[in-house]
Amino acid sequence: MTETSVQVEDPNAPTMAVALKIWRYDAQTGEKELREYEVDAPEWACLLDVLDLIKDKVDGSLAYRKSCRMMICGSCGMRMDGRAVLACKERMKPIVDAGHVPVISAMGNLPIVKDLVVDMDPFWGKVRAVKPWLDPGYDEAEEKERIVSQQDMNVIHKEALCIMCGCCVSECNSMESDPDFLGPAALAKGFRFVGDPRERGQIERLNTLNQEHGIWDCTRCYFCNERCPKGVDPRDAIAKLGAESIKEGIDHDMGAKHAKWFVTSAKTTGWLRETELVPKTQGVVSAIKEAKFALKLLRHGKVPPPVPPHVAEDVHEARGLYELVREQGRDGALGIVQGERALARLDQEKGLEE
Amino acid sequence: MEATHDVLVVGAGCAGMRAAIEAFDQGADVALLSKIHPVRSHSGAAEGGINAALGNASEDDPEQHAYDTVKGSDYLGDQDAIQVLCDEAPDDVYQLEHWGAVFSRTEDGRIAQRPFGAAGAPRTAYAADITGHVLVHVLYEQVMKRDIFTYEEYFAWKLVIDDDRCQGVIAWDLLNGGLKTIGAKTVILTTGGAGRLYTGTTNAYACTGDGMAMALRVGVPLEDMEMMQFHPTTLAPSGVLITEGCRGEGAYLLNSEDDRFLKRYAPNAMELASRDVISRAEQTEIDEGRGVNGNVLLDLRHLGAEKIHERLHGTRELSMVFAGIDPIHDPIPVRPGAHYHMGGVATDLDGLTSITGLYAAGECACVSVHGANRLGGNALMETITFGKRSGAAAAEWALTHTTVAVPPSIEAGAERELGALLGRSDGERPWAIRDELASTMHENFGVFRREEQMQEQGRIIERLQERYERVVVEDKGDVFNNDLTQALELGFLLELAECMVVAGLARRESRGAHARPYDYPERDDANFLRHTLTSLSPSERVRLDWKPVTVTKWQPEERTY
Repeated sequence: MTETSVQVEDPNAPTMAVALKIWRYDAQTGEKELREYEVDAPEWACLLDVLDLIKDKVDGSLAYRKSCRMMICGSCGMRMDGRAVLACKERMKPIVDAGHVPVISAMGNLPIVKDLVVDMDPFWGKVRAVKPWLDPGYDEAEEKERIVSQQDMNVIHKEALCIMCGCCVSECNSMESDPDFLGPAALAKGFRFVGDPRERGQIERLNTLNQEHGIWDCTRCYFCNERCPKGVDPRDAIAKLGAESIKEGIDHDMGAKHAKWFVTSAKTTGWLRETELVPKTQGVVSAIKEAKFALKLLRHGKVPPPVPPHVAEDVHEARGLYELVREQGRDGALGIVQGERALARLDQEKGLEE
Repeated sequence: MEATHDVLVVGAGCAGMRAAIEAFDQGADVALLSKIHPVRSHSGAAEGGINAALGNASEDDPEQHAYDTVKGSDYLGDQDAIQVLCDEAPDDVYQLEHWGAVFSRTEDGRIAQRPFGAAGAPRTAYAADITGHVLVHVLYEQVMKRDIFTYEEYFAWKLVIDDDRCQGVIAWDLLNGGLKTIGAKTVILTTGGAGRLYTGTTNAYACTGDGMAMALRVGVPLEDMEMMQFHPTTLAPSGVLITEGCRGEGAYLLNSEDDRFLKRYAPNAMELASRDVISRAEQTEIDEGRGVNGNVLLDLRHLGAEKIHERLHGTRELSMVFAGIDPIHDPIPVRPGAHYHMGGVATDLDGLTSITGLYAAGECACVSVHGANRLGGNALMETITFGKRSGAAAAEWALTHTTVAVPPSIEAGAERELGALLGRSDGERPWAIRDELASTMHENFGVFRREEQMQEQGRIIERLQERYERVVVEDKGDVFNNDLTQALELGFLLELAECMVVAGLARRESRGAHARPYDYPERDDANFLRHTLTSLSPSERVRLDWKPVTVTKWQPEERTY
């Protein structure tokens, strides 16, 4: 038998000089300072490796969270150049090659404890507000597992991937203006239970999530989808909650009424009748208040005149789609999930062809 | 003293949370304490699955599960403990399903099970390739449901022993600073493994063997510490885990000659032989020049894109991010990496250690169900079954005893020790010692072990310990001072490494993960069908004892796959 040759770390592995600017924050003094650091790192290094090198060799007081370094524990959420990332997922080589010096800072929408460490209590408070455990509708379980099809479980596939890193919350524009907004992570967790075929408390959950600071307060900026490092797509989870709410007749919120009017308008005339949108969504009183504004829009040709009602030439297409969804029972979250999976399959096939 | 609980669970991964839930349900006042938030625990990185003889994919029964586990352990596992695990596993998995675990499903809607290494039946229940993640989150949901108090980001440093009983924990409060003493009638250690002893490891930064070392320091023996499992499929350079589920789904291992080399090492089981066998085979191929840049290749291509997307989505993501490889199109370069400590705090079947009131469960403990080699899928199962059992046992004891006392002298002693560490300002910082420990352990105490290398490692550890005595913590602040806690972790690791080397030198045979092909290539049941016990003694530093293996119905046989 030959000598064992365990390769631990290749001492000749190519290295690169990495420069970072880090927003340091001292909660005890309230001082903030942008400091620049430079270290030699192996070419395979990710942002987290570079932070480790800085902490080891330059400044031991630099604070950040880390654990698994494989994108599953959710500890190392932070911002690079103003975008939320997991530090363990971001490769540094392309950034170094581009000659860029990224700015690293703590996640947004959460109070900073020190440097890159944020207080996660508000985050978990919102998760707790959605009653984050399964309500199976019984106390004593049967002897074996429940029988559920994989297809039914697939409805919550994406939400079950969530690692609670907080990247989506960091980027949430609605939460920036309304700190009480439940936010993308908690709402995705909410859908994880609403969409679970084993859950028995769907209606109660939907009623809760339809309250103020709930699903309809999302502004659909899609930053959460874009920045989620795990492909959970929280905004889509919020859309699924909306679809389930309307399917169950929970439509008291303006947001639900707004969405419903879009559908009604599309299937009757094939286009969006904006003049009717405000009264249908916000009620007649509100509409009268907005009348002056509406007339102004009309005068400037920003909206078409409401009379005579104009019907789009191909309205039958919109009506056909509406009927199809209804006949096939694809209203609610299932339809969105099926759509997502169909698109993912197309992407896969496209990827294989290339 | 901060607070007093019936049961204080230190560590909040699968074992810890399962223990806390059980203790709570038994009526105890229970709290969790963890240096990281519970869902950040490394149990969440377990990928492939959890073993229970549910019989959903083919005929199976706990007896078969037990036999596979005994054989897998190279007969070092205690058969009474293994029987408990395998008998209780099915109900414990059903319980997880009822709590809401998102298991993958069979065609007929039952919990899906896949083949795993050295298992006689497809027994590994799974949730795609994120089983640990799913279990950590479902357990934390149940912790939130019960509103179990959690000391989040508290770094447990010392056990309080008074009146020959464990009566609490002294911990550093990471967010606010300061040592906090939390009194408890019983303490359950569930702090996981110590993979950070090695450079190439699947383990998280948090896996620094804290519970094992804390127990060692109060006189509890550690069992079978030489038994560190090397997982056959980890990514270079950092050791990120690629699940055994890949091979369970049918992936091949190839050498540089495009040859499925396992036919020469495990002709029947091939890629589904046990982990120790495959890691040795890979290391041999690499050593004999048939590796690919220090790796072998894990080939998933023939599984097809659909199966990879459906069941190995996370693996693809890891390969793409950490190796730049899309396994749909290219094989993944993999090599053995430190993965799991079969050894740990010696306990009985209820998790009780040699000290009254002190329990341990999960990877931190050694019951021992894994012996010299753990089967894939048995670790998550152990966390659940023995987490539950230790939680129940601790609660029962706590509910029948009343007092908790922490003598002020213990707290004062801890403050003094910490003050001395923080008071030093000139000298070496810990990182170079940490890196040297990890690289030398990898070199000298890896897949294959040589007498002289182990002896050399013993001397290296001694020198590192001398340097550690004078180590300097640069951050002197109170808020999120993990510069301090990382220094304390290194102290833990050094002592565990010392135990491993002492036990490794004493075991003059090859068994499971302890392979000595150069001097003791065979298993030696006559002399070594017994557990090593290492403990700290003032006179000889690490003291070595032996403990018999419990054999009930399976006599040791030759082990081939």
